[in-house]
Amino acid sequence: MGKETSRADEITRVMKEIGTDANGDVAINEILSLAQIMSRSMDSVYRAVENSIQREFREIGSYIENMKSDIAGLQANDLKQTHLPTAGLELDAVVEATEEATNTIMECAEAIMCADAEDHDAYKALVDEQIMKIFEACSFQDITGQRITKVVETLGMVDQRVSRFAERFKIDDAEGHFDEEEAAREARKKDLLLEGPQAKGDGINQDEVDDLFSAA
Amino acid sequence: MAVDMSMPVLVVDDYKTMIRIIRNLLKQLGFNDVDEATDGTEALQKLRAKQYGLVISDWNMEPMTGYELLKQVRGDDKLCGTPFIMITAESKTENVIAAKKAGVNNYIVKPFNAATLKTKIDAVFGV
Repeated sequence: MGKETSRADEITRVMKEIGTDANGDVAINEILSLAQIMSRSMDSVYRAVENSIQREFREIGSYIENMKSDIAGLQANDLKQTHLPTAGLELDAVVEATEEATNTIMECAEAIMCADAEDHDAYKALVDEQIMKIFEACSFQDITGQRITKVVETLGMVDQRVSRFAERFKIDDAEGHFDEEEAAREARKKDLLLEGPQAKGDGINQDEVDDLFSAA
Repeated sequence: MAVDMSMPVLVVDDYKTMIRIIRNLLKQLGFNDVDEATDGTEALQKLRAKQYGLVISDWNMEPMTGYELLKQVRGDDKLCGTPFIMITAESKTENVIAAKKAGVNNYIVKPFNAATLKTKIDAVFGV
């Protein structure tokens, strides 16, 4: 504070000297001297500003560092390159296995449906054989169950990582959709009432549908 | 009035296995003239090329859904009288109401059985 006052006094003195020159001319050294004093007087201001900016940059740097560490914690590449493709393959395999089993079961049922029942022994042998094939086809359920469990585990992992990230950075969901494609997909679903299949208890059953139909 | 078992039936579903199931059930019920389409657009082309006695359609298909197909059929002077049954996993009240409003003759919720299919076909033809 004392320094500031003495600089102010010095400035006043130089200003007076400039103002009281008999010729009314201002010497270059007087201007330089004034500039020097003024520059020195701004030093502390610059230092204070510099310190606060530096502190803010340090805080931003540390925030970015933490964020980088949390983004790395998401292990997005691991999810993208390993877990999600594997989950996709598991689901494809489930679809394939259920389709294969359904087709086998239907082929058996169709064979029984078309069989000639005149020859009792031959008919019984054919039915027995087809029934065994149906039993075998039903074994898909065990493997698909295991595959689905793996997919559920992956979803749980994604949920855990994303939730932890969102919670740590107090991220609120943005309004609207992720991209135009998603927006179009959602709009189509809404316009064409494509929400099914409903979870158990969410939809109505056949009796309730019939009631709606019989109502005027 | 008995149902005419010789009438051509068009089954519309994007899932081949479901078409096969419905085809087999219809065969068991006595219908032998059964054609298939995998979405509304293909179904509409077939409906314009041949006269069908009944359309059995899924709801959720691409690019044209069963609901859009129903509205197209009801909006077409030549096709508007074709009996139309929706067989779908869309089991919300608003879907049933929308389909009824669009002129569907009956509505079956998946999964369904042969008895339900028969009852609904009979009901459509006033049996």
